[in-house]
Amino acid sequence: MRYALYLGCTIQSEQYGYEASVRETLPKLGVELVDMKGASCCGFPALNSVSKLGWHYLSARNLAIAEDMGLPLLPLCNGCHLSFVETKHFLKEDPELKNIINMNLEKEGLHYEGSTRVVHLLEVLHDEIGAQGIGEKVVKPIGGVKLAAHPGCHAIRPSDLQRVDDAEDPQKLNSLIKALGAETFDYPEKIDCCGSQLAVASGRTTLKIAGDKLKAVRSYGFDGLVTTCPFCFKMYDGRQRAIRGALKDDTLEVPVFYYTQLLGLAMGSSPDRLGLQMNMSPVDGLVERMTE
Amino acid sequence: MLLVPEINEVEVRFISKMLSRLVGEMNAEVCDQCGKCSSACPVSKEIEGFNPRQMIAKVSMGRLDGLLKEDAIWTCTTCLKCRERCPEDISPYDVILILRNLAYRAGYSYPAGYDDFIKGVKESGFISRPQAVRGRGGVKVSRADLGLPEVSGPGDMAKFDGVIEGIIRAGK
Repeated sequence: MRYALYLGCTIQSEQYGYEASVRETLPKLGVELVDMKGASCCGFPALNSVSKLGWHYLSARNLAIAEDMGLPLLPLCNGCHLSFVETKHFLKEDPELKNIINMNLEKEGLHYEGSTRVVHLLEVLHDEIGAQGIGEKVVKPIGGVKLAAHPGCHAIRPSDLQRVDDAEDPQKLNSLIKALGAETFDYPEKIDCCGSQLAVASGRTTLKIAGDKLKAVRSYGFDGLVTTCPFCFKMYDGRQRAIRGALKDDTLEVPVFYYTQLLGLAMGSSPDRLGLQMNMSPVDGLVERMTE
Repeated sequence: MLLVPEINEVEVRFISKMLSRLVGEMNAEVCDQCGKCSSACPVSKEIEGFNPRQMIAKVSMGRLDGLLKEDAIWTCTTCLKCRERCPEDISPYDVILILRNLAYRAGYSYPAGYDDFIKGVKESGFISRPQAVRGRGGVKVSRADLGLPEVSGPGDMAKFDGVIEGIIRAGK
């Protein structure tokens, strides 16, 4: 298993806990991650709303780089993953658009054919390595902890494009959480949005949408929330203090983790190697329980 | 159907194609106004007046111009539930994003953050650049502190910027 690792804007510029935990855990599971040279933003959400052509250009350009590398592309962000899949779909459907994009790519010495396979982290973990394969690497099972799965909108919708899991009943992240020895169960708000893409237009509404979900997660008795999307993580973890302020609820404290951070703990890595010092939500208590 | 004159020809052709594919054959009979989109929408719950069902009704009646000037088209979270649940395969999400593209081209107002996104992409290839980030203990940590490799961007920024400029700004 060898992949071109696509970090994207948010992870490489601030979500270091995700990147560190991916780099720490995946090689131990037999996955080789190859860094890309010359990559750029995928175009979503920067350009999708203002220049459809610009958006597809940026996505196609990263797909073209992966094509040159001869490797499947592994974006770690749900938004980037959907962006690549959707661009591939449009360029296949629309040869004229593909031509226009290739005419521009030529100026950068690149060419897009459309042969790059795009994979999601959940697919690598669940479909390729498998819950059983992961379970075999667990040396410190995470027992007695109830964790809510948050796959994130762009991983599962829209189902008419190649997505990662069932649009209405996604179970892959649940199965991966169970593979670590932790408990998980479904809850009504599981496939609800974190609201992060609204931050550019209305910060207050964004905090309300994210806060309502955190309140729901707390009300069902979960000890924490788990995701693999940097935008969702940023909302629930990085903005949790602001959410408490916006909702006027000082007691709303929910530990939030990237799945790969928990995977690393279960595989015996130290919290520092997994960037757990970067989580802003109150994770210390749970990390202690998981590492004792 | 040129809604907005003097826009870059290629972009217009593309946007028009997207628009006609999505709403070109849309009339009052295509959408049943069942409201599954609005009932699934996380923003409809929070912002009064944000209503994908009504937006589709306006589009199907050809009343685009008012929509293009409304803040509402910029407050979709792109959660895609409306696209997923529409029994008629209409995608309010895609319609809203097309309307955003048209509003931007037409010079109507849009959230200022998009200018920052574009500036970031044109300057470095990415919306944002690696920064030292404060962790839970209050200490600022850089990529290097965590042993993460240096980030590379487009090799020839001048060429990259030229292409992006040509695509995004043409006609504006």
